Amino acid sequence: MKPNNHHKLFIIMLFLFGTAVSKINAQDSTASTTVLSVRYFLPENKIPYVDVSTKKKVGRKFEPVKGIPVNVYFSEAAEKNLLGKIITGIDGEGRVALPASFKATWDSLNEFKFVAVSDSSAGVESLSGDVTIKKAILVIDTTSTEGIRTVTAQLKEKNGNEWVAVKEIEMKLGIKRRLGNLTVGDAETYTSDSTGMASAEFKRDSMPGDEKGNLILVARVEDNDNYGNLVVEKSVPWGKSVQAETHFWHRTLWSTGNRAPLWLLFIAYSIVIGVWGTIIFLVLQIVKIKKLGATG
Amino acid sequence: MEKLQKFSPEKITSDLLPQKFGRRGMIWTTILVVICCIGAFAYIKQLREGLVVTNMGDYVSWGIYISNFVFFVAISLVGSLITAIFRLANVPWRTPLTRISEIIAVSAITFASLIIIVDMGRPERLVYLFTHGRIQSPIMWDVIVISTYFCISLLLLYITLLPDIKMMIAAKDKLGKPFSKLYRWLGTFWKGTAAQEKIRNKSITIICIVTIPVAFCIHTVTSWLFATTYRPGWDSTNFGAYFVSGAFLVGAGAVVVAMYVFRRVYKLEHYITEMHFDKMGKILVMLALLYLYFNVNEYLVPAFKMRKPEEAHLTGLFAGEFAPLFWFAILVGMIIPILIVVFPKGRKPNAMFVAGVMVVVGAWFKRYLIVTPTLLQPFLPKYDAPARYSHYFPSWEEWAITAGSLAGVLLIITFFARVFPIISIYKTITDQNETEQSS
Repeated sequence: MKPNNHHKLFIIMLFLFGTAVSKINAQDSTASTTVLSVRYFLPENKIPYVDVSTKKKVGRKFEPVKGIPVNVYFSEAAEKNLLGKIITGIDGEGRVALPASFKATWDSLNEFKFVAVSDSSAGVESLSGDVTIKKAILVIDTTSTEGIRTVTAQLKEKNGNEWVAVKEIEMKLGIKRRLGNLTVGDAETYTSDSTGMASAEFKRDSMPGDEKGNLILVARVEDNDNYGNLVVEKSVPWGKSVQAETHFWHRTLWSTGNRAPLWLLFIAYSIVIGVWGTIIFLVLQIVKIKKLGATG
Repeated sequence: MEKLQKFSPEKITSDLLPQKFGRRGMIWTTILVVICCIGAFAYIKQLREGLVVTNMGDYVSWGIYISNFVFFVAISLVGSLITAIFRLANVPWRTPLTRISEIIAVSAITFASLIIIVDMGRPERLVYLFTHGRIQSPIMWDVIVISTYFCISLLLLYITLLPDIKMMIAAKDKLGKPFSKLYRWLGTFWKGTAAQEKIRNKSITIICIVTIPVAFCIHTVTSWLFATTYRPGWDSTNFGAYFVSGAFLVGAGAVVVAMYVFRRVYKLEHYITEMHFDKMGKILVMLALLYLYFNVNEYLVPAFKMRKPEEAHLTGLFAGEFAPLFWFAILVGMIIPILIVVFPKGRKPNAMFVAGVMVVVGAWFKRYLIVTPTLLQPFLPKYDAPARYSHYFPSWEEWAITAGSLAGVLLIITFFARVFPIISIYKTITDQNETEQSS
């Protein structure tokens, strides 16, 4: 290649690089339109609720958009199907639980849709989002044979009037701790087998539990395209009993007035009695002077 | 330096007996009463509408009221300085200053107590301090120690007054009727017998011994209200000594101002002499240097480290929003008075008066700077707070109540000087007799 061609290649590469960088920067600096997303949750197979979130992409990450009024409907966006109205909070999220008035409709359906709509009144463009869910429940159980403890979970969908176990569903089996869930076994997630059963051997021996040694096992299905988010818990006496140490009834500087430390009471009252005893003595001296004046 | 002149007991009594208000006295008293009335009106408004009339908020919850409270507590310490320490140290020239310092202490501590009730917003809740009080709380210690100091100061004032009351009862023809009943009620039993005098002297000595630790406690405990709270500017182990040294300084400054005013108004040049100003000047310099030393410690050490949470507070004081006030308090409250009074010419009455006023005014602003800027800079970040929460300037109600309380202190001193001798007649005569006998 001639030297002249080197220059040309360099200029072309520089141009391409510059274009690419400017394009990336342009993507970074412009905010995208607001996105309204809908997520379905069923805790403990009881009352379902829907979380809506509004966010938009700023640079390379999503930022929450607060203060967006959103109407949430069941099946379709009609006044009679209105589940509730929310305004997204500082985290760009809001929650609507299924009202009791929708129980009959809920019971009659095996598949349903939640629709979230926001008009342009909040200063942003009109938004909408929906999620379609197949009705399902999550069941957690435990077995203990020959010293081996096993946690099992099954996702069952409504098929006609029957609850049928669903196979190849990814779920998490964990133990509830203060700041999150600890996995039951070594794996992060478990997939249900051909019988719809996901199982994990419980390997967390001597795990601190509550005062009676109870642990709370948690089975979760997270963000499943068909079934949404389901979670169930079960208490089992597999932990180590922990008696929490409390200082609430002790005499401390931060306890209530009637539980002041004895050393403080002794010092404080000694000083007060000493000084006020002197004041009383001085008042008695004045009385004495007065008596001397009366008799003198 | 002039020497104390010798006068007959009759002349001393005549010079030192309380005098009626002249035209200037009436104007002065009227002004003070008017300011007090405006303060009372503002307080009634605050009672009716609540603390919302103040500009205090979530961050500055202790504003000008608590600054004023700390100022009053500081100034009240002077009672122990002049009376107790000078008496126990047998300082021979103390007589003309003791009663002035005692009445300053009583009036200041009275209004320190009242201003706390004002700051509470709901005065009827004061009773909760006793029914639900926690002995673990420095606020409780403050309540105990302030009431104790008030009683001790009042006792000291009363017991030292007894011989003078006898003289005023005797001089009823000259003093007229207005207060004769009060004098008789207070001291008709005082005959001046040896037995009575012995008990009185013993009592004064006991009070002086008790007063000093209680006075130290009152201001140390007040400093602990701040130092036991984890905040920029207050998180100091030095605060007790820092506050006590500042209190001695402002107390001494207040006595100098009062000495000058009483000397001029009541023509007491023969009793409060240039020698007294010279001596007090030397004490003032020493106390100002001591307080300056503590200030250097309080500000230089944190500024050297400049920890992140302290940075906003310190830069606000040194070069920010509070810088004019801060440097005013340091210069006017300490450095300029030192420069004036350190030279013999600066210890003449007029110069001393100027220095004393500077110390007192500087000290008031210094208390404001101890309380407010710290509250504006909490360790936890301010979140979702209105912009006005980041600044504090007292409302007119706060100014009026504060001015009313300051006027109230001066009014108590003024009325006291109208009813009782501001220099002990009995002690002045006794001192003169003792001097004659010793020479």
